[in-house]
Amino acid sequence: MGLHDRLPSKDTLVHLRDESTKRLNAQGNLVGRSFNEARLVASLAVGLLLVGFLLVAQMRGHATFTGSLERQSDQNLAIIIQQLTAENNVLRSEIVRLQMRLLEASQATEDRTQVLNEAARELNSVSVIAGLERAAGPGVSVSIADPERVLLPQDFVRVVHELRSGGAEAVSVNGVRVTATSGFASRNGRIELDGTMLAPGYTVIAIGEPVSLAQSLELPGGLKTTLATFPGVVVEVATDDELTVPAGTTAGFTFGTPVEDE
Amino acid sequence: MLALVLALALGVTLGLLTNVSVPVGWLTYLGVAVLAAIDACLGGVKASLEETFDDKVFVSGFLTNTLMAAFIVYVGDQIGVRELYLAAVVAFGMRVFENLGTVRRLLFRRWGWE
Repeated sequence: MGLHDRLPSKDTLVHLRDESTKRLNAQGNLVGRSFNEARLVASLAVGLLLVGFLLVAQMRGHATFTGSLERQSDQNLAIIIQQLTAENNVLRSEIVRLQMRLLEASQATEDRTQVLNEAARELNSVSVIAGLERAAGPGVSVSIADPERVLLPQDFVRVVHELRSGGAEAVSVNGVRVTATSGFASRNGRIELDGTMLAPGYTVIAIGEPVSLAQSLELPGGLKTTLATFPGVVVEVATDDELTVPAGTTAGFTFGTPVEDE
Repeated sequence: MLALVLALALGVTLGLLTNVSVPVGWLTYLGVAVLAAIDACLGGVKASLEETFDDKVFVSGFLTNTLMAAFIVYVGDQIGVRELYLAAVVAFGMRVFENLGTVRRLLFRRWGWE
């Protein structure tokens, strides 16, 4: 048969089989080698990745360390300590100095406020006494009826004087403040206080301790009794908790000058 | 070879991006450990060029060398011989240069420059 003729000889077949086996083995080796190659590259790559990462971390850590004190030599550290100690001392003495100044300043301020407060208080009382300011407070209201106009200026002077003896701090007559320079006068049979005509039906208001003010007028044999002996004169004294005395006009010095005594 | 260079670059980039910083107390330990890691990697490259690379050997060598290097420095600190880290630095430094020389020669042979 032609088929038989075409079959290769046994040697050829063996040769072909061996060839195939060799190629298969070679391929297997190739697969194994490339597999090994992949593992090699992978493990080395991981190792190098770690190395790169650690290197950067180390460099950064070292950069922060370089500026730190731990890197300085002992001599340098001693010098740094010395410098810092000296600086500390300077700063400490400055603190003390500034604290002293602060203390002085606050003391001065305190003194000044005290002086100012005292001055203000004094000014207040002086202006009340001098009649520069309106005054309000408890006191007495004295109404004097004199329908026949028998009272003389000196009677009013006495009334004011008695009230002042009783501790009056501010006195007004018919709404006119009696000040240190006030004077009662008589003109055409009428009573004048500092140029203001006083209409009969007088009202004298005094600020001060009400009871002692009232007593100063109502003493037995006192001014009230004396005035009551005049014809038609009626004196009535009433205490009150809230009275007001207007401010007066005080002329400044024209002829005299204040002299300061030691 | 390109993959290895890329891996190193990637590690550096990762370090820069994550903004990590080693605590001051660990600086000497990690420094020597990094040196050991560089040595292990060069050893790995050398072995791969000699076609004797074994990944088990590489990984175990990488880990033990870095850890032992740091440990030696630590022990030195503990027993008052702070200069012990110098021994590690010298040993690993020498190995790094030796490996570098071998790798260079092997590469020359491979590329047929010799």
